[in-house]
Amino acid sequence: MDRRSFIKLTAVTGTSAALASCGNPENQLIRFVPAEDIVPGIAVWKPGVCPLCQAGCGLTVRVMDADADVVRNGQAGLVRIAAAKKLEGASDHPVNHGGLCARGQAAIQITYHPDRITQPLKRSGDRGSGRFEAISWDDALGDLARRLDALETAGNQRAVAFLTRPGAGFRQTLIDQFVSRFGAPAPVAYELFGDDVQRQANALSFGRHQVQTLDLANTRYLLGFGADFLGTWNSPVAQGAGYGAMRQGRLGVRGVFVQVEARMSQTGANADEWVAARPGTEGVLALGLAHVMMAEKLVPDSAGRAGAIVAGWSDGLVDYAPDRVERSTGVPAARVERLAREFAATRPAAAIVGGPPLAHSNGLFTALAVNALNALVGSVDQPGGMSFMPQLDTVAAAGLTGSPARQTIERFAADALSGRPAPDVVFIDGVNPVFTAPPAWRVREALDQAAFVVSFGSFLDETSVLADLVLPDHSFLESWSEAVPEAGAGVAVASVAPPVMRPLYDTRATGDVLLDIGRRLRRPLELPWQTFDEMLAASFSALPSATADADAWTDAQAKGVWSGPLPPRLARQTGLASPARRTFSFEAPRFDGDAQQYPFHFLPYPSTAFLDGSLAHLPWLQEMPDPLTSAMWSSWIEINPATAARLRIGDGDVVEVASSQGALQAAAVITPGIAPDVVAMPMGQGHRTFTRYASGRGVNPIEIVAAVTEPATGALAWAATRVRVSRLGPPDSRLVRFAGGMREETEERR
Amino acid sequence: MTHPTGSRINNDLLRPLLLTSWRFYVLVAFFGAFVAAGLIAWLSQIFFGFGISGLRWPVYWGFYVTNFVFWIGISHAGTLISAILRLVNAGWRRPVTRCAEVITVFALLIGAMFPLIHLGRPWLAFWLFPYPSERLIWPNFRSPLVWDFFAINTYLTGSILFLFLPMIPDFAVVRDRATGLRRRVYRVLALGWRGTPKQWHRLETAMQIMAIAIIPVAVSVHTIVSFDFSMAPVPMWNTTIFGPYFVAGAIFSGIAGLLIAMAALRKFLHLEEYLHPVHFENLGKLLLVMALLWGYFVFNERLVTYYGNGPAEMAVFRQTQWQSFAPLHWTMVFLNFVLPLTLMGIRKFRTIAGCVIASIGVIVGMWLERFLIIVPALGHKYLPYSYGTYRPEPVEIVITIASFAAMSLLYVLFAKFIPIISIWELKAGEHPPAPDLVPPATEEHRLGDLRL
Amino acid sequence: MPRWGMAVDLDRCNGCAACVVACHAENNISTVGADEAARGRAKHWLRIERYWEGEFPDVRLTFRPVLCQHCDNAPCEPVCPTYASHHTEDGLNAQVYNRCIGTRYCANACPYNVRFFDFFNPSWDKPLHLQLNPDVSLREAGVMEKCTFCVQRIQAAGTQASAEEREVQDGEIQPACVQSCPSKALVFGDLDDPGSRVSQLSRSPRGSKLLEDVGTRPKITYLARQSQA
Ligand SMILES: Nc1nc2c(c(=O)[nH]1)N[C@H]1C(S)=C(S)[C@@H](COP(=O)(O)OP(=O)(O)OC[C@H]3O[C@@H](n4cnc5c(=O)[nH]c(N)nc54)[C@H](O)[C@@H]3O)O[C@H]1N2
Ligand code: SF4
Ligand code: SF4
Ligand code: SF4
Ligand code: SF4
Ligand code: SF4
Repeated sequence: MDRRSFIKLTAVTGTSAALASCGNPENQLIRFVPAEDIVPGIAVWKPGVCPLCQAGCGLTVRVMDADADVVRNGQAGLVRIAAAKKLEGASDHPVNHGGLCARGQAAIQITYHPDRITQPLKRSGDRGSGRFEAISWDDALGDLARRLDALETAGNQRAVAFLTRPGAGFRQTLIDQFVSRFGAPAPVAYELFGDDVQRQANALSFGRHQVQTLDLANTRYLLGFGADFLGTWNSPVAQGAGYGAMRQGRLGVRGVFVQVEARMSQTGANADEWVAARPGTEGVLALGLAHVMMAEKLVPDSAGRAGAIVAGWSDGLVDYAPDRVERSTGVPAARVERLAREFAATRPAAAIVGGPPLAHSNGLFTALAVNALNALVGSVDQPGGMSFMPQLDTVAAAGLTGSPARQTIERFAADALSGRPAPDVVFIDGVNPVFTAPPAWRVREALDQAAFVVSFGSFLDETSVLADLVLPDHSFLESWSEAVPEAGAGVAVASVAPPVMRPLYDTRATGDVLLDIGRRLRRPLELPWQTFDEMLAASFSALPSATADADAWTDAQAKGVWSGPLPPRLARQTGLASPARRTFSFEAPRFDGDAQQYPFHFLPYPSTAFLDGSLAHLPWLQEMPDPLTSAMWSSWIEINPATAARLRIGDGDVVEVASSQGALQAAAVITPGIAPDVVAMPMGQGHRTFTRYASGRGVNPIEIVAAVTEPATGALAWAATRVRVSRLGPPDSRLVRFAGGMREETEERR
Repeated sequence: MTHPTGSRINNDLLRPLLLTSWRFYVLVAFFGAFVAAGLIAWLSQIFFGFGISGLRWPVYWGFYVTNFVFWIGISHAGTLISAILRLVNAGWRRPVTRCAEVITVFALLIGAMFPLIHLGRPWLAFWLFPYPSERLIWPNFRSPLVWDFFAINTYLTGSILFLFLPMIPDFAVVRDRATGLRRRVYRVLALGWRGTPKQWHRLETAMQIMAIAIIPVAVSVHTIVSFDFSMAPVPMWNTTIFGPYFVAGAIFSGIAGLLIAMAALRKFLHLEEYLHPVHFENLGKLLLVMALLWGYFVFNERLVTYYGNGPAEMAVFRQTQWQSFAPLHWTMVFLNFVLPLTLMGIRKFRTIAGCVIASIGVIVGMWLERFLIIVPALGHKYLPYSYGTYRPEPVEIVITIASFAAMSLLYVLFAKFIPIISIWELKAGEHPPAPDLVPPATEEHRLGDLRL
Repeated sequence: MPRWGMAVDLDRCNGCAACVVACHAENNISTVGADEAARGRAKHWLRIERYWEGEFPDVRLTFRPVLCQHCDNAPCEPVCPTYASHHTEDGLNAQVYNRCIGTRYCANACPYNVRFFDFFNPSWDKPLHLQLNPDVSLREAGVMEKCTFCVQRIQAAGTQASAEEREVQDGEIQPACVQSCPSKALVFGDLDDPGSRVSQLSRSPRGSKLLEDVGTRPKITYLARQSQA
């Protein structure tokens, strides 16, 4: 081939290749002009706030360039954007001190989730069918405003319900204002693993309606009653930091940790001594310890009010002598005495209760008993003990007054089903009660009564899929984020951060949307801000500045957090109006299901990966091996080896767990860390619709939980269901585990 | 020992070259189909990713490495046996040597495929070779895999020479009888063989040298293959016994492979008059010796482990001895020890049928042995949390079957195109060479009576 | 030349697995999905090993984060035919993905089973790929991957320090797992600097090496969980 023909040939093939690629839209690569300034390859760090739990940890977000697929003017192409790359714990944040839990690490996958809702949606099929069609923001908000106006015209404002999660942040305050200015009933707050019982007990014992903060770093003896404080409860990163310091942060001093619980949690797995008390009797054990301490005069009685509200306290708790404690709790009397002496002899010491012990019908008593024990050893408001963190009053900071008490979801559902009032418009923000509430409450049926359901969700979960209108929120990285933690630090903390990156989609910040709706109404709600960040700016500007050269607002935005001493007028008043005059005594826990027919206690517990299931859509968390079982992507049920042997259940076998409410099937995990009469199952899986990663995977234990409640608070007693367990068949593919061996001995015996 | 002489040898042994029966095509199609299936399986593994195999953390070696060791082991049949028999000048070797040496070459070729099949990125396999690179990047000469490369290549080269040299006079026979294309092909292969005394002398000398040289090479090859395992700190791998243990096992399986091949040839090519029961009897005795030797090594290895009672080793030991791998382990012991001992140890069972049964047992047993060396150890390495296991997927099973089919196919093709029994050696056995070193075969090579 | 190492305080570690997810987020480790995970293809450069002792009710559990030990005498290195697994001057066991041809020999030789093979090309359902760390290369099917001690962070800190004409400070380099750990169970630093935190911790009487008797000379020191006698 000569040079000329070679060139010709090249030209021909080159042109045809170019033409071919033009004709094929997939091969087009259009690069749009970036809308933002970003230096490729150069990372910048911006503050953020972890949105995943009430702990409110501070983030440092690494932002770099990335190529995003976008559609501009109907043309698909690539554009360089400034994208969040990695979430780190903010190193100087007073709650998390640079740490972040596994869930916080995975939070970034919310922003980039492939199944995020990218624009407002209007229901187009039957309710719950999951069929939606696109709608513009203007039409959506206009339609919604018209519906609200119609209610207002009819004087039927009470037919609006707002379902949200509990909390005391600015978003919640805005929702409260929105609801109350419109004239609707107080918002319905629901969280499966909430702390209402704890708050109520603290209010009764200490006059503080708040979850306590633990000073673990300075504790020398920690007595835990079921609280998974290193995994899922309260402020796990702050508590993890304190725990590390408690163990090895002091020269020559190593804090002792004893955990009382019927199923070894991730937290209990770290205990020096693990005590399996019968479910629902943890309070008896606490008072048994108090009895020994008082009887042996190991500590001066400084319990005060916390002791006084426990029946029999002034008589030295004679009903809680060790032998009687043994009969009730199953913990040997000698062990009760030894623990009491150890606990009394070590200063500072602290007791902490949370999780399953409070999820019984007598949960309030259990919490009061542990509070009294804390008061007895003088650990309240002391270094190494428990205290109440000053908390910013967001209502006062925003220059408002009044915040309504929240309603329970059980009440909401009952009212809706009995038609007083029949809900007309229901807003849903950040909760998925169709998934997390027990079926007996009939939340789904209640929502079916509503004429119009509006969800602010970013994903079609079991509740949002029932919506008539979906108004997707920005992700936490795309919008102003804030948190006002209730616990976890020694000083008041308010986290706040500006958007880290531009929104990827046609979404809007829910705070802004509420303010917008407020303005669109025929009778506007007259909220004093145009946008949510104006509300934040106004509120933070009211705070005292931590640094001399910057105001509190500027400083907080730069750091991602405001913290410091609070002027009394801005501190949340957590006292109880009228302290209880009655005393509380032990009542045997009430369980659903007959002990003969349903011999096992059923313990659904918050999973390390998914908490109550709201994070099951994140692939990193799905593939994270569970710390105790190494299970990934699955559901399982934990059974004691002796029980398993009796029921002829082998590791991995498929078993059926049945309660009075129904039955479900899961793979058995045989584990020594659970009492023989208890079976446990993590929450999180069993979603019917919750993105490609979570849908149709595993089972949801709440489906067989009975609607037993703690009477004083109405909180669900989620550990009060009894079940029976039977083997269905040999192991199948439903249980996926990362590791082969559970333990060396088991391997050897096999 | 009697077998046909003179022109009957030519007639009998050249018959397959000249007459093609339908059975040949059936066999080629049958084995070829399996080989094609294996190729498709391999291509799909390359295309879809290694994930279609059954390998999983932490058992990253499975069927492919088993097959690698197995086929390299089989390769010890031929050359080693033939070389030893040549050196001791065992007369009964003559009809056996070539079909043994062929096994070596083919088994090596097949065995050497497996490291490639097993690579995560086989298209970069040449990075294992010390090719001249302008970036001056060399392979890591400390890696046993690189030693494998050298060892196998050396053995392959040696074996091909060892096989080829004594074929030259036979090529000349065919050349002289053939016409057309065939004649041209065999002329090239015959390398100008004229049968002059000088050529005979050189051939004999070369064979003598090769026979001496190939023995240490063969021993070293399987020793080095054993180093793939024994150099790694894996419980039950990191042991000094692996070198001789592997070599013994290789010879053991090699003899079994040879016995099966001989029986098949005898039956299909009607070589009853060349491959006598005594050949089987003798090789059977050798099989018996190797079974005893194998048993000795296994006993040694197991006893030392058990007595030493190291926790990591015992985890693997328990797996093979009485836990999940026990059925395979005891099958292996039966097939490699009990069965050959019974069949070959008792004279009345040492028949051709007995030899074949024992050999099939040994082939299966030795394959299992390699599998049981690799998989339980990798699945039970030190940290119990990371214990795991392995189950093959169809791609691995298909490729494994294809490797056996490939062996059969190559054998069929070889027997079709090249006299599977060395014609001149057979004749030389009839007439011991005269002192003037003129082999009587010379005459035969001149006076052909076959018309091609 | 520094010699990078780590100390893991088992008395601080509580098994929360934050480090596990942090490593995924930092190092572009792809999730494989439920089906592949069931087939043993999940990749966790760092895992929390969990061992039970005793029977109910006297059970005790120990968590142990296990990652590449960056052995000074690393068995994974000599066996690698292409030098993909090799030792760097600053003591890392480095893995050159481009050089790896996928023999998986190194994974056999590693006594800790911390090397993970890529059975398929990694994939991210868009736009999850926007999260990928541009400082860490993606691994194609057929190569071996493992903990790098977050070498990209080591490099970045070194570059930063030399730009500022100073030495890298102790504690300046934090691998992703170290950074995320709430209870500060992980400490990273230069073992050749006797004053560094990691050196001090490595000399602790509580310290031991994992599988020390195998002779790998690991650079991770585990500080024993103490028990209350
Ligand atoms: N059309 C066009 N031509 C160009 C240029 C251009 O911009 N446009 N740029 C020019 C410039 S600046 C340069 S530097 C050259 C670069 O040209 P080349 O040096 O050819 O660069 P690459 O194609 O990047 O890499 C060469 C090969 O190395 C392989 N490789 C990767 N790692 C290893 C290893 O460890 N060992 C071995 N043996 N191989 C490895 C890769 O798989 C690849 O196949 O191209 C020049 N040519
Ligand atoms: S504890 Fe809660 S707020 Fe903190 S990182 Fe974890 S999920 Fe986020
Ligand atoms: S993050 Fe820290 S405490 Fe949590 S598992 Fe990892 S090493 Fe242990
Ligand atoms: S731990 Fe394993 S992978 Fe890491 S250096 Fe040691 S042998 Fe190599
Ligand atoms: S898998 Fe890669 S790194 Fe490991 S030994 Fe083979 S080539 Fe080397
Ligand atoms: S040092 Fe980096 S690569 Fe290694 S385990 Fe930690 S995060 Fe993963």
